[in-house]
Amino acid sequence: MEFLRTRETGKVLLALNVILSIVYFLCVVFLFPIGNLPLFIFLVVSEIFHVWQVVTFIHTTWPRRVKHHRFQRNYKPRVAVYITVCGEPAEIVEETVRAAKAMDYPNFSVYILNDGKVANRPNWREAREIAQAHEVMCITRTKPGGAKAGNINHALPLTDEDFVVVFDADHVPSEDFLNKTMGYFADNEVAFVQSPQFYKNAEVNQVAGGSWEQQTLFFGPLLKGKDTVNSTFMCGTNMVIRRTALVEAGGMSEKSIAEDFLTSLLIHSNKWKSVYVSEVLAKGLAPEDFLSYYKQQFRWARGSLELLFSFNPLFRKGLTWAQRMQYLGSASYYLSGFVVLLNASLPLMYFFFALKPLTINTMTLALVFLPYIFVILYTLQLTSNFTYTFRALSFSLGSSTIYMKALWHTIIRKKNSFAVTSKKRLTGTYGRLVTPHIFYIVIVVVGVVWGVLREGWSASMLSNIAWTFIYIAAFVPFIAAAFERAKPARAK
Amino acid sequence: MLYRRLAVYLALGAMVAFAIFFGLNVFGLSSLRLDEAQSLFQTNRDVSGILYLVAQDVHVPFYHVLLHYWLLLFGQDIFTARLLSLMFFVGTILMTYVLGAYAFGRRSIGLFAALLVTISPFMNWYGSEARMYTMLAFMASLHLFLFLKSMREPAPKYWILWTIIAILGLYTHYFFVFVLFAELVAAVLLRKQFKHPRPIRSIIIAGAVAGASLVPWVLYVFGLGFASNTQPALTQPSAGDLFDTYAQFIFGFQTSAVNTAIISLWPIAVLLGFFALQRGGKKVPVETAVFVLVATLPVIMAFIISVTIRPFYLSRYLIVSLPALLIFIAWLLTRYRRWVGVTIGSLLVVIIAALFVVQVVNPNTPVKEDYKVAVQYLNENVGVSDVVVLAAPFTVYPVEYYYEADAKLTTQPVWDRFSSGAIPAYDESKVEAETKENVGAYQKAWLVLSYDQGYNEKIKQYYDNHFEKLSEERFSPGLVVYEYKIRYDRPLTLYNQSQ
Repeated sequence: MEFLRTRETGKVLLALNVILSIVYFLCVVFLFPIGNLPLFIFLVVSEIFHVWQVVTFIHTTWPRRVKHHRFQRNYKPRVAVYITVCGEPAEIVEETVRAAKAMDYPNFSVYILNDGKVANRPNWREAREIAQAHEVMCITRTKPGGAKAGNINHALPLTDEDFVVVFDADHVPSEDFLNKTMGYFADNEVAFVQSPQFYKNAEVNQVAGGSWEQQTLFFGPLLKGKDTVNSTFMCGTNMVIRRTALVEAGGMSEKSIAEDFLTSLLIHSNKWKSVYVSEVLAKGLAPEDFLSYYKQQFRWARGSLELLFSFNPLFRKGLTWAQRMQYLGSASYYLSGFVVLLNASLPLMYFFFALKPLTINTMTLALVFLPYIFVILYTLQLTSNFTYTFRALSFSLGSSTIYMKALWHTIIRKKNSFAVTSKKRLTGTYGRLVTPHIFYIVIVVVGVVWGVLREGWSASMLSNIAWTFIYIAAFVPFIAAAFERAKPARAK
Repeated sequence: MLYRRLAVYLALGAMVAFAIFFGLNVFGLSSLRLDEAQSLFQTNRDVSGILYLVAQDVHVPFYHVLLHYWLLLFGQDIFTARLLSLMFFVGTILMTYVLGAYAFGRRSIGLFAALLVTISPFMNWYGSEARMYTMLAFMASLHLFLFLKSMREPAPKYWILWTIIAILGLYTHYFFVFVLFAELVAAVLLRKQFKHPRPIRSIIIAGAVAGASLVPWVLYVFGLGFASNTQPALTQPSAGDLFDTYAQFIFGFQTSAVNTAIISLWPIAVLLGFFALQRGGKKVPVETAVFVLVATLPVIMAFIISVTIRPFYLSRYLIVSLPALLIFIAWLLTRYRRWVGVTIGSLLVVIIAALFVVQVVNPNTPVKEDYKVAVQYLNENVGVSDVVVLAAPFTVYPVEYYYEADAKLTTQPVWDRFSSGAIPAYDESKVEAETKENVGAYQKAWLVLSYDQGYNEKIKQYYDNHFEKLSEERFSPGLVVYEYKIRYDRPLTLYNQSQ
């Protein structure tokens, strides 16, 4: 897979990233004269976050000499294959079941974990019918709770295989999935093996494409890097777990709506090892409508932020420092919503109130900022084999409102239920979900008029306009995706 | 295949014709500039005299010696002197094509880069200035070509040529050393990417030979005791100057308002950079890094040294980076989707062409020095009982080139340029005495102020406070002629003569 092919990034280049980001930070904090104090504090906060992101990114992608995971080809223990179902269309579930059954492996059983009944899905009986038709077991929950984690935990005592494979209903495994993953468990310390999520419907529309392109960086250089410091975390599907490790962690954690992330943390705290296999071994479906994308992002953000606030990896016993850093880095990514808001609002402060966090010449700022940002962009692209697209960036920046909402819900401890990402495209458009982005553009236009009337086309005005242009350029594809009408056919 | 080659030759021919047309008919006919006057002054003597004068200046002598023989062969006027620079400008256009096409294996990149060089207002300006800058740009592009050739096909002949051009480059301008430095960094960083088995060793040996060749000149300069003179009186550059340099490379010399607008939009560069890099698995060729290094390192190095040690930052000295920068831009456009690249490229050409026109027709273009018209004005108005006072003193060179009036020419501070040593510094306590000495015996003083060295305004204020200002004429940015009435009785000597 193209997106997983990464390049060996030189240590010099990676170190340069850290050096330039720290130099930029130090200039902002100590060298440049302070303008408006509250804005300066906002800027410093956001720059601290950016330095942290650079440091964690470099820590993740740093080329290390690592021992290859031991793989024993003839290790073929018994495996339970769980296909978690919660009202997905029958044809989707059926395709997954058929592919799971067709896996080339001597010793496994397929189970449909049917959560449709407890989730009050009208089609919940279809899972049973599929199971009967394909001669696999169907485990239907009758008592709700714990969402997907609860569904898996419910099935654990009802099966007795030593290893559990989890596939979402729409993730169709390849024939050699088990042959390419089970051999790692010959090492008794390996708790789980994760393989990438690949979205086969990425071409269908903007939403699917955008969410897929966002994934490429994560399943490429990031998870590969995490694997080198034993920090791979489970991603909910396409994974194999050792039963003993899972039971020791108390099963899939039901305390978070990002159960996979938290459970990985608990397993790593118990000194287990993890493995990331970077080869695509199952193909799934990306959300095809904006609402599903929104919910999926919210769930990931909420779960990650919850882990940050309630299960802070920094203070968790049993983790190595590298693991603490990796978990903290992944979870804190979702604070970026707040940082994007801060950064995007700085030009507005100038347009309306002529307030600046720093009172330096814009060119002096450029002198420090441009080398820093270009080296980062180049490194980002180099590590992802030049596949990180502008649409991915657009979706990441556009999702900042989702992350903000998740942050707010985490702070006020609002209960959010686990929402399964829809495998069926919902109809209609979701313009309301991008109201803040549209509002931002309107405010910018008004602000530019206001500012130009006040002081004309000054250097500061032009630079601030250019900054807002970047945000607007990033928001436009996101807004367009929200208004996109569904196309009739789903990609095969 | 044949048609394609023919089309390339036709395109290059059109570019060369464009450069020559504007060189001969527009820029070549413009007024003599200060630096050019210096070139003519310095080269209008035998070679040992040239070396002696250049040693006092901030330059190295290769261009001056070449210009000396060029003028001996073809004529002594400024138009002929400028033709030498035009020749190197045309050479840079062709060399840019060869270099771009060779580096990336795509004629389109070479052609577009050559087009950018052709319409570059910056290159056109120096393409018709009797100075060494287009020669320096030509040397830099030729040297970069030899560098890539040596790295790809490590044969001794290329290293020998590399060394020869390095020596000529170093004798063309001291800043050529930054090209060598950028190539050394490229060789170190990319040593595993090229075919060359030992690039660092080769470049160090060849570079050392080239560097050693400069030793006799350095010894000569120090031997004459002129080393302290070889530092231009420049101010410390700001970050704005650094970005101005790139704005000038691409868009030429524009008014401060236009320049501010161009460089203030720098955040857009982040967006364009991102777009250029996100090309689904499309590899960035290793040569790109070489061009980035040559386009940036000389500028950055000059900036850092100017800020930390001694200011010597001038965008024209950094012309060594220009061909590499334009080739990089031409390559960058190929990273976008075809229609995006074509659109941005066309837009860029249109903007540069428009600013080229602005640079030509706008009387406020900052680098314009219209001594020709200013001195014509003096020739027509200055009387025999008047005096012409010039500040800064070294502007005497371009003024006397056109000067035909009978009135005395003098400078303030007073400078005897035929005695060796630096130009006297401005001394406020001497202003009264020097002014008295300069203008005391005359009816009117014509104060010609240009090339402000930090005291022009003070001199003008002194004249304003002590004499009656009769007129004021501005000829180009910073070049103003003031007419002052000094006395109302006719000078005795002249009166007696007229009796």
